Amino acid sequence: MASRGIDRADFGEGAAHESFLQYRRYRWFKISALLCLFFIVVYALVDITPRPNGGSWEGYILGTIGAALIVWLAMLGIRKRAMTRGRWSLKAWTSAHVYLGLSLIVIATLHTGFQFGWNVHTLAYALMMLVILSGVYGIFVYGMLPQGLSDSRAEMTGPQMIDAINQLDKQIQQAAQPLSDADSAVVLGSLGEDPFGGGVMRRLSGRYPRCGNREALRTMRGRLAESSGKEAAAIEKIVQLLERKAAALQRVRGYVQRRALLEIWLYIHVPMTFACIAALIAHIVSVFFYW
Amino acid sequence: MAFVLRNISYSADGRQIVRSSRINDDLLKIGRDPDCDIRLNDLAVALHHATIEQVSSQVLGISAESGTTIEIDGTSTQGGQIDLTTGGTIRIGPFRLRVSAQEMGSDDVAIDVERADLEEEEERFDPRRFALSSVMPGKRPIAWVSVIAILLLFLVWPIWSFHSQPRGERAAYSASFHADQTWSPGALSRPHQALEHNCTACHEQAFVSVRDSSCRACHTNVHDHADPARLAAARPNLGAFARFRRAVAETFGQEAGRCVDCHMEHLGPLEMAPTPQKFCADCHGDLRARLPDTRLGSATDFRGQHPEFQPAVLVNWNGDQPQMRRISLTDRPREQSNLKFPHALHLQPTGGVAQMARTLRATYGFGNQLECSDCHVPTIDGVRFQPIDMRGDCAMCHSLAFDRIDGTVRTLRHGDPRQVIADIRAWYRAGGPQRPPEFDAGPRSRPGDVTQIRAAIQYARAEAGLGGRAAQAIRAVFSEGGACYDCHQVVQPPAGTLDYSIQPVAFPQRYMLHGWFDHRAHQVVQRPGGPRLTGTQACLSCHTANASSDSSDLMIPNLESCQACHGGEGSNAPVQSGCAMCHDYHIDEGTPAMLLRRQVRGHRWQTTIRIEPQSQPTAAPAR
Repeated sequence: MASRGIDRADFGEGAAHESFLQYRRYRWFKISALLCLFFIVVYALVDITPRPNGGSWEGYILGTIGAALIVWLAMLGIRKRAMTRGRWSLKAWTSAHVYLGLSLIVIATLHTGFQFGWNVHTLAYALMMLVILSGVYGIFVYGMLPQGLSDSRAEMTGPQMIDAINQLDKQIQQAAQPLSDADSAVVLGSLGEDPFGGGVMRRLSGRYPRCGNREALRTMRGRLAESSGKEAAAIEKIVQLLERKAAALQRVRGYVQRRALLEIWLYIHVPMTFACIAALIAHIVSVFFYW
Repeated sequence: MAFVLRNISYSADGRQIVRSSRINDDLLKIGRDPDCDIRLNDLAVALHHATIEQVSSQVLGISAESGTTIEIDGTSTQGGQIDLTTGGTIRIGPFRLRVSAQEMGSDDVAIDVERADLEEEEERFDPRRFALSSVMPGKRPIAWVSVIAILLLFLVWPIWSFHSQPRGERAAYSASFHADQTWSPGALSRPHQALEHNCTACHEQAFVSVRDSSCRACHTNVHDHADPARLAAARPNLGAFARFRRAVAETFGQEAGRCVDCHMEHLGPLEMAPTPQKFCADCHGDLRARLPDTRLGSATDFRGQHPEFQPAVLVNWNGDQPQMRRISLTDRPREQSNLKFPHALHLQPTGGVAQMARTLRATYGFGNQLECSDCHVPTIDGVRFQPIDMRGDCAMCHSLAFDRIDGTVRTLRHGDPRQVIADIRAWYRAGGPQRPPEFDAGPRSRPGDVTQIRAAIQYARAEAGLGGRAAQAIRAVFSEGGACYDCHQVVQPPAGTLDYSIQPVAFPQRYMLHGWFDHRAHQVVQRPGGPRLTGTQACLSCHTANASSDSSDLMIPNLESCQACHGGEGSNAPVQSGCAMCHDYHIDEGTPAMLLRRQVRGHRWQTTIRIEPQSQPTAAPAR
């Protein structure tokens, strides 16, 4: 299915397809690991007195490499708009982006000499780590969530899911016509419930504590117990419809939650990349300003 | 009077469907209830929601039932009127009831009934709302806001702060926040912590690396280790990588040899580490190879390679001016202090000096013999000794007394030969033979008084002889066996006069001008395998005074003597002594900074023998 995102085979041992993580038998993983190992060994062997720091020759070399890497990694935002094949294919680029981005953890940390503080330098470092960790999260959810995403939809498309709720709303509307004003006000709570209501946190958590449909269902179940005759029949029908709507809402919201979990990292990864570059500029300018 | 209702709805393909009906009544009930004239099929509408009524031929009245509200021309209300000449809109729940303006000559009131929430519904169920972007601000706005905030807070504000904050000594220690502090990569060293809030105390100019002048603003008593050009030339040849690093640093405006090259900052509240021996040995190990004209010998390690001491020795006199020269102890320099003083004689345990010490024990607290400390008085800090002073250090025994009047001893004035000569003359003049009483026997003398004549002759004879006796005494004082001659070099007077003079006496206060030696730290000496020595014995263990009979002997201990206890870093000597223990990179006067720092930080040299007051007198003889 086209809408499934990355196929599960991308992350497994699928022979036919090679994911960007596995690209050329983990070529960029190996390169990045060697790079990290090299810098760790150099850091361990070189004795910077009185203590390792970003202002030593070693610190400057690591810092320059780190800054260059950050700029290059950010270029993926431009590069990704052109899908190409071959040695410098987008897949190769993305693979390098992931593994070199991870190697930045080692390079930048060694650059700091483990000197942290409440200053612009540590700010740049923290933002960079935030970007990297959000990227790691992104890879993780891209690997894990899409399957759950399609499972949660029960083979329905988004518009189909909405349509189901729409149809239920119409039926509820119809079925509720005989109800008293008081009862219809309760049912209105269900009809007024926005399946997509709530902000980011609600979407991420998938919890909708003040759901109008749930409230209506609870009240109407209560009413069912105390009513009789024609009214009871009407209410019973309403209750059945509200239950079906609850399931439909759950389906939509489950899907919305997975989408949110899948998409949230980009809202950190991308803007924080620019924030990181801004902090990096302040960091570099400040170093030379107070040379 | 009639209402014409037009019920408007839309088919799935957007086609408009209009169902018209006509009600011949002047009152319309609106609601969800099937009995209503206008039935609005939505739960948001009450069973009986509102009533429309013709008030006059031109005015339509609308009233909501209790508990419900309606909207007339966009205003939420309980009831209102619509002018039929202009028409109006009533909103009930999701429905819109449009009352058309009444046509001329017609009694009919046309009302279009239409569901108005379809667009809202569409929006509510927009599939795009599945995406997180429907509830998140765009990535671009987040990025822009973050970027601008960071640049303002951490770039613009600090630069503004750099230009606007007050400068100068007073501002340097202010504790108020400046935005450029956010640039500080780490805490300053402990001694500089007070400058933490004031970056501009050191970073004076933008994009210009910290200059030595900033350091010198406060550190006024340190000097360059050497002439910068010679210092640069003395550096050992750099490796290719070091040369490259140097070139890069210079490209970015960092000249070599700045204070901050060694005294790095912003590395946390560190203490300055003791200067490693290698730091000095790098240049001084083979300095002559790069500075052929240097007078400094090679030094890498105090035991391994260190030139013999070259004390500043008083070698000659130019009139009154002593001439000093640094001479290596291997050349056995002699000191021309112009003082005659046999140390060995004074330190003998028996003999005249010791006897005199015992005689004067009660007065001066001497022991059975003289000790070094009987004459040599330490300076207040205990590091060196005060200059020898005749009155305080010698006169206990070497008296210059020549007369006693009513118990007061008159002494010759030390240091002033002319006064000495004048005093001797005066004594012989005033204190000579007494005037014979016969001279004053009566108011008038009788001629031919034999006694008187005899007395006059004798007195005249005595008077005449006095001058000769004074000259004799003066000669005696300045000649061998005389009070001055014993200790001083006497300059003979010009022929026919008695103008004796004394060669000036001088001793250097400090022999090792570029090395540090603290006598207090050596009050107790224990050479490897030797006994623990204090007092005179400790002195003699380095200065062989008890073997010196000539004051021109220079008793500065040589390198070998010190090496008995002191060795370089990493040596097995009792006291590991890096260069910095005796030599300071920046200062020649006073205690080397490294020793001071150790003292301030409460460290002692582990190898320094602790002086215990109660155990000290064991080796020293009781006084």
